[in-house]
Amino acid sequence: MKQIAIYGKGGIGKSSISSNLCVNLASEGYEVLLVGCDPKSDSTINFFNGKRIDTVLDLYKNGITDPDKLIFEGYNGVKCVEVGGPAAGVGCAGRGILVALKTLNKDYYLEKGFDIIFYDVPGDVVCGGFAGPAREGYADEIYIVTSGEYLSIYAANNIAKGLFNLNVKMGGIIGNLRGIPNEIEKIKAYSEIIDSQLISAVERNLKIHESEIEGKTVLEKYPDDPLNYKFKDIGKKIIENNKSRVPKPTTDEKIREILGGLI
Amino acid sequence: MNILTPRPNPIVAALYTLRDLDVDVAVLHGPSGCGFRAARLLEEDGMKVVTTSMTEEDLIFGASDKLIEVLKEVEELFSPKLIGVVGSCVSMIIGENVKKAINDSGLKEKAFFVEIHGCMGANTRGAIETLKAAMDFGLIDEKEYQRQTKMLLLATEVESNKGMAKSKYTRPLRGDELREVADYIIKKLKEDKKIAVVLNAKKETAYLFADILLAINLASKKHGGQIINVGNLSTDVGLLRIRRYAQDIKNNLEKNGITIDHISGGMDEYPVAGKNAIEYLKDKDFDLLVAVGIPQALPVIYKDSIAATNGPREVEPLKEEGYRYVTVEIASHSTVMGSRDIVLSELGDAIRKAAGIQ
Repeated sequence: MKQIAIYGKGGIGKSSISSNLCVNLASEGYEVLLVGCDPKSDSTINFFNGKRIDTVLDLYKNGITDPDKLIFEGYNGVKCVEVGGPAAGVGCAGRGILVALKTLNKDYYLEKGFDIIFYDVPGDVVCGGFAGPAREGYADEIYIVTSGEYLSIYAANNIAKGLFNLNVKMGGIIGNLRGIPNEIEKIKAYSEIIDSQLISAVERNLKIHESEIEGKTVLEKYPDDPLNYKFKDIGKKIIENNKSRVPKPTTDEKIREILGGLI
Repeated sequence: MNILTPRPNPIVAALYTLRDLDVDVAVLHGPSGCGFRAARLLEEDGMKVVTTSMTEEDLIFGASDKLIEVLKEVEELFSPKLIGVVGSCVSMIIGENVKKAINDSGLKEKAFFVEIHGCMGANTRGAIETLKAAMDFGLIDEKEYQRQTKMLLLATEVESNKGMAKSKYTRPLRGDELREVADYIIKKLKEDKKIAVVLNAKKETAYLFADILLAINLASKKHGGQIINVGNLSTDVGLLRIRRYAQDIKNNLEKNGITIDHISGGMDEYPVAGKNAIEYLKDKDFDLLVAVGIPQALPVIYKDSIAATNGPREVEPLKEEGYRYVTVEIASHSTVMGSRDIVLSELGDAIRKAAGIQ
C-alpha cells in the first residue's frame, strides 16, 4: 500500500488532478481511496455527479465513527472520504483534519486492502493540522502540483520548506500547465533545484473543465479521450516511484532567476 | 445530559497512570499551570512532573523545538529510565507532532507519547490512552491493557449511574459529623453487634481508607462486637506498584493481628470488587455495614450502613442510596502521596477517640 498527499497553491488544480488520477488507476484495477482534506469538502464531487458526500466530521458529530460508514463508493469503484470541517470563520479546521485522520487509520486501510491512498490537501499548510496527512503513518510521500507561473512555484517552494522542516519525503512535481512559454522547462528546472523531479505535466485541456461542470472525471465523460492515458501514465509513475526524498527548498531570488532565464 | 459539575480531568488521569506505571518523569506539553495541583501531589509521590510552559507565542508558532529542548533537559537533570510525554488542550489543538519531537530529541528508546487533551471525555479516557501508549511501548501486555480498560469503563459507569455524574449539578458537601458517626459505631460494638467493614478503595487512597478498617477493629478489641473484614487487597492483580500498596496494607493489618476475611479483588478493581464484597456478605449475618473508599461502587443493600468517601460531591448521591451516615476524608489525597503504610484518617481518628484508644 502506498499513501500519497497532493499539495499545491490554492486553485492550481489539485482536486482535478487527484480525481482523474484516482479514476484512471481504478480502471487499471487498483483499489483506490481518495481522502479530501479541505473543509469545503469538494475534493470528491467528481465521483458523485457534483454531489457532496457526508463528511467524516459531520458524521463524527453525530456519534458515527465506524470507518465503514465514513467511506463512500464513487464512480468506477473509487472509494471516497471527505474530512469536512467547520464553516468558514469558526472553529478549527486543522484540529478537524487530525481527528478525522485518527478515525481513519492505517490499520483499517491495510485491512481493506487499498493499493493507493490519495490525500487531497488544501492549498496552504496554515497550521499543524494541515500537515497531518504528511505525518508518519499517513502519506509516505508528497506530490506538489504547480504551473510554471511565479506565484504557483513560489507556493510550491513554501510547501517544500514545510516538508524540509518536517523531514517529509517528496515524490515529485506534477505540472498542471497554464500555457505560458517554456512552461515544462521552468517547472523541470525548479524541480531539479530543490533536488526533486518532474513526474509529468498535464496540458491545459477544456475536456477537464467540461467534465467538471457536470461533476465528472474525464474518464466518465470522455472515456476514449487520450487524456485518460496521460493520467494512467502519471498514476503508474507514482505507483512505481522509488525516488522520493526530502526536498531542498530554494530562495525567492533563485526562483526568479530560473523563471527569468526561460522567458 | 450536559453535566455542569466540574469533574476529574483526562490529562490528570494520564499523569496518575504514568505514576502507576513507575514512569520517572512526566513531561506535559502545555502551559505551566496545566494540572498544577495534581503535578505537585505526584511529585510528592516520587514522579517528576515538568511542563514545556507553552506561551501565547508557542500557540502561534508551535513549540516542538521547546519540547525537544525540555526532553533533553529532563535527560540531563534526572537521567530517567522512563519518560511519559502527555498532551494538553493547546498542544493538541494546534497539532503538535509530539512523536516526531521525541524522535528528534534522541530519546525514543525511553520516552513515549500519550495523546490526550482535556476535551476527550471522562477522566478514565486519559488513563486508557496512557495504558494503550504503554502497551504500544511494550510496558504492559495486551491482556493487562484490556483488563484495566474494562475496569476504567466500569468506573465511569459507576460515576454516571451512582456518583457525581448522576445529576446535572452535584453540590460538594462536608458530610456528617465525624464524632457522631464514631459514637454510633462504638455504641454498636458495645452492644456486641456485628459490623461488616468493606474496604473498596482506589489504589493509593487505600492507605487512608484502610485506617478506618483498622480503627474499627482496634475499637472492637477493646469494646466487643464482631467484625467481618472485606477488602480489595489482592496482591495478584494489576501493576507492580499497585500490588505493592496492597502488600503494605496487609503487612500493617497483620502486625495488628487483623485478618481480612475475604479479598474482594485487586486495588484497581474497585468498580467490580464492591459487588464481589456484597456477594460475599449476602448470606452473612451482620448489623451494620461500613463501606469505605468508593462506596458508590457497592450495590445497594437494605441494611443499616455508613459510607466514607473522599469526594465531597459523592456525599449527596450516597445519601440518596440510603446510607445512614456519609463521612468525607477531606485531606485524603495529599496525605497518602509518598506513603508506604496506612496513614491516619479523620474518621479513624474520631473512632479511636470515641473508643478511648490511641
